[in-house]
This record gives sequence, C-alpha cells and structure tokens, in this order.
Amino acid sequence: MASESCGNPATDTDATMPRRPKFDRSKFCVKCKENTGNIVIRHAVYCKNCFMPLLTGKIRRNLEPFINEKGDGSRRRYLKASGNLLIGISGGLGSTVLLDLISRMYFPSQMESQKRTELLKGGTAHPRNEMVWQKAVVCYVEVCSAFPNMKDRTEDVRTLVKTYEQFEFTPLRLEDAFDRKWWAEVGGKPSPDLFVDPTNEALFLTQHDEDSSSSPVERLRSYLSALPTPTAIPSAIRMLVRLLLLYTAQSTNSSHLLLGANLTSLSISLISSISQGGGFTVKEEAQEEWTPKVAGNTPQTVRLLRPLQEIGLKECAFWAWWNELNVIGRDKFPGAKQGIGALTRDFIVGLERDYPSTVSTVARTCGKLAPKAGANGTCVLCDRSLQIGVQEWKARISIRSLSNSAPPPKTMNAALSDTLCYSCHTTLTSRSSKVRSLSNNLLPLPVWVHSYLKRSGLPEDSVDIAVQEELKESGGEIWERRKIDRSEMKGAISEFLLEE
Amino acid sequence: MSLGVRIEFGGGLELLFSNEKKHKVTIPNMVPKDNDTKTPSEPSKELKPADVKYLIHYLRDHLLKERVELFMENGTVRPGILVLINDTDWELEGEEDYALKDNDEIVFISTLHGG
Repeated sequence: MASESCGNPATDTDATMPRRPKFDRSKFCVKCKENTGNIVIRHAVYCKNCFMPLLTGKIRRNLEPFINEKGDGSRRRYLKASGNLLIGISGGLGSTVLLDLISRMYFPSQMESQKRTELLKGGTAHPRNEMVWQKAVVCYVEVCSAFPNMKDRTEDVRTLVKTYEQFEFTPLRLEDAFDRKWWAEVGGKPSPDLFVDPTNEALFLTQHDEDSSSSPVERLRSYLSALPTPTAIPSAIRMLVRLLLLYTAQSTNSSHLLLGANLTSLSISLISSISQGGGFTVKEEAQEEWTPKVAGNTPQTVRLLRPLQEIGLKECAFWAWWNELNVIGRDKFPGAKQGIGALTRDFIVGLERDYPSTVSTVARTCGKLAPKAGANGTCVLCDRSLQIGVQEWKARISIRSLSNSAPPPKTMNAALSDTLCYSCHTTLTSRSSKVRSLSNNLLPLPVWVHSYLKRSGLPEDSVDIAVQEELKESGGEIWERRKIDRSEMKGAISEFLLEE
Repeated sequence: MSLGVRIEFGGGLELLFSNEKKHKVTIPNMVPKDNDTKTPSEPSKELKPADVKYLIHYLRDHLLKERVELFMENGTVRPGILVLINDTDWELEGEEDYALKDNDEIVFISTLHGG
C-alpha cells in the first residue's frame, strides 16, 4: 500500500529529514582509536591527546619545506634557516595560537631544552639538533591611531609576548608608514613627501619637500579618509601592515616572516582580495618571497609564510581554550561592517559551520591558480607583481566619464596610475554608487613610494621644471600622457584611413 | 525537578553577559517543546527533556544583557560560536538535541571577537 504521508514537514513531523551526522563512523578518535573523541574536524574525530600532534604536523608540512634556503624536495635534511625569525602578530586568535605553537615546536624553554638534550640522538653538537633559528622577534603593529577612540593594545601584547622568554618584542605603529624616521631606521633613503589627487583616476603626483607641518598620524588619517569606499580602508591597512612587517624582517636580518592567518581567515582574504581586483597575485596571499629593493644593504630574501593555513578557526579556538591562551582580540574598524571584507567573513564563517570542507576547498583551489599574463615590475605601493596593461584594461571595461567635454588640460605631473597594480589602483579610485563627500585634500603616500618610483624610472620629480629643461637641452625626450578627443585621434591616423 | 548547569563564556562572549565568564543556572528537567522560557508551564503544553536548544533560549531570555544578534541567529547560536559540552565538541554529543544532565558544563566560545 502506498504511503499516505504527503512528505510535508509542516503537517507531518516524521517527514522532516533526519539531521546529517557531523562526524563519520564512531565517536572514537580516528588516530589512536582508543580514546573517546573531544573534537570533530571536518567530519573526523580526534581526542585531546592526538589533537596537538595533528596541529604540529600541519604546521611542519606548511613551514619546514621552506626553511632551508635551498629546498631539499622530499629528502629530510636538517633544518637551518639563513637568518632570524620574525613573527607578526595582530592580537587575534590565529596569531596568538601561532605564537604558542611556534614557541613549543622551535623555541623550547631552558628546562625543556635540558630534557631534550638527554633524549637527543647524536648529541647536541649534531647539526640536526641545532636550533632552526638563532633569534626570534615578535612584531606587533598598533593601528589605533588611524581612528579616534580606538584602544591602544600595545602593552597588552607586550605582556603576552613576555610569557615566551625566548622572544624579543618590537612594537610598531601604523603611522610609521608615513614616518621618515622609521624609514631611515630600516635603511631607507631620505625622500620628499609625495601626494596624489584621488579625485582623478590618473592619480597625478605632487611633491612637497620636508612637509613638517603634518605628523605621521595626520598623514595616516588623511590617507584613510581620502579613500573612496568603506571596503578600501581595511584593504589599505592590510597593505601598510604587510610592508611594515617585511621591512622590519629585513632590518632584523630575518629570513622568515610568519603570520597567523588560519584556513578560515586565509579563505576570507583570498575571496575578498579577488573581489577587489587582487586576482593576479592570489598565490602571494598564501605565501610569498620578498626581496628588499630600495632600503637597507642586505639583499636577503624574506619568506612570508602562513603556517596555520591548513588549520581552521575552530581548531585554533579549541587549542586556545584548552591551553588557556590569552587572546587579546582586535577592534573592528569603524564602517568595516559595510565592506566587502566583512560580508565575505560572514559568508565564509557560515560556510564553515554548515559545510566545513568547502572552506579548505577555497584555499586549495586558489593555491592552484596562476596568472596567464606576465608581470612588468612591481607595484610602487604594495610591491607585488605589476600585471601588464592595467590602465588599458580599465579603459576598455568601464565608462570613465559621462561627458564629451574637452579633454583635461595638459599637465606636467606624472601619473601614479601607470605604476600601480590593479588592486591598489582600485583601492584608491573605485567609487561606490553612493555619493560620498570627498575631501578636497590630497592623499599622502607612504614613505617607500618615492624610492620605488625612482627605481621604476618614472619622473616622479614632477614639479621640477629645471630638471626637465635640462633634459630638453641635452636632447633628451620627455614623455607625457594626455587624453585626446576623436577629431585629434582621426587626425593622427588620417594617412592610414581608407577613403570613405 | 530541576537541573543545575554550569555555563562558561569565552572569546569575548562574556561581554554580552554582564562581563562574567562563569554562571550557574537552574532549569527544569522537563521543558516546553517550543522553548518558551518565560510563561509558567501549562499541563496542556508538550514537553521534552531539557536540551541545549532550550538552554540557549533560556540564556537569551534571562542572562543576555545586549545585542541578541551577536549570540543567537535563526533559533541557534550564531555561526562562529563554538559550544563544548563537558569539554567535548557539541557536534559529538548531538548539538542542540543533547539532553542536559545535572552538573553538566556547557562552554560557549566566540571566534569572532577580533581575530
């Protein structure tokens, strides 16, 4: 006899589908098969004892192949880094867990060292048993100056780092990116202050020598308030923090810079970055090799790695809870809720709860991507690969002005847009449909931009007419870009046109 | 008949609950199926053994001081909040359907605060 149930759960409660189990097989740990499990990670059950080796195994997999200067493939040789270690922490969950695990794995305390000495094969003199890094520095970038009423957490972070006796602490501030003193400390050459006009997509440069009237904090706030959208603010801050950390790594002779992005936050930043035009450098979101080009004397390459990239937010939270780690936390930026970053975060965190395996798929898929087109140097703002033809592409895909008015007057100023990657250009110029009252002020640029511009060969010294006159007299050419209207375009190619 | 349940909040969630990390609540061992924690029990109402789902509603109604949406969403804890039942992931214990016992320890950890 056919079932009389209509299958509608509202009327027939038995018709509701049974809840899908969140774990495979039994409640026993899949590793030791003895203990009852305490945590489910993407459908696999682990007990507390097997949890730590699981995490340390994942960290080793993402870190150790990149420690030695020359990769050793699959053969396990002893690990020895060519420089020191810099660990960047934000006060968030991922970086707190990273600090704890790296300390346990590679910087044991005196007591633990002695215990290990007794167990070591080959004696302490054996190269295999040496410390991988001789020295480790923990760096924290305080961002509170960017916004009024934001709490300064530097001292809380200092207290946290003190609990790890092996680590030194170096605090930085976000406004250091606009501070000539900091630039000089990391080996940068003195340079004039550069500004751009953010209302024009070409981003014409102007230069002021020794503008001592505005402090680094004022310049930082000007920079952020001149950005066109709420989405741009966290992206710009991330970019500044990344470069501050990389230059600090170089100045501390570090060969490795470790960041605490976990699987969840990595997936969030990948999707968020791609949606803001960062697809060309999607691989670098997970890890990158950076060589200082414009500051300092040592050309030491810094490997920026994210050892927690296979460890989800849930696992980090459990580790922090079971080990009673003090997670200081970070304040959300004002207005961040409306940005792409926050929307992406809500989406991915929801995914992690309902379909946990999809979050790791995001990171793994992005790791397989490689851009088709080649790079042409690096972006002067973020120092990542600069793809060819950014401005031409933008001109083809967007309407840039609604009027057919006369082209803008010729200007001697160089345009920054030619030396920016797609993502940085979008951050500085992308307008939302809402009309935001933009300040008429110029947007100050971070201290490194001048040196990068000089290196790229562009005449950044745009108001120095004397230099240009000299060039003209010696028979040199001065190139400039300007927009022309249809009749002028036709005139330029008239000899090639067929008669109508 | 009632149960005593120990509650703990972590990851910043305590800020929503009078900044107290540890709480102790007493709830009846049989509760309304509709998770109503306010009106006194009527004999006609359908009952169920007290479970974590009821506990979440109880915390929202009686202990939560502000910003409900940061704790609950769609009748359950907001995504990003982890729950431990007696030091074990609640996914191993049946999540919200876990029937509470006297002196159980339930921990709510937020992974969204900063980080």
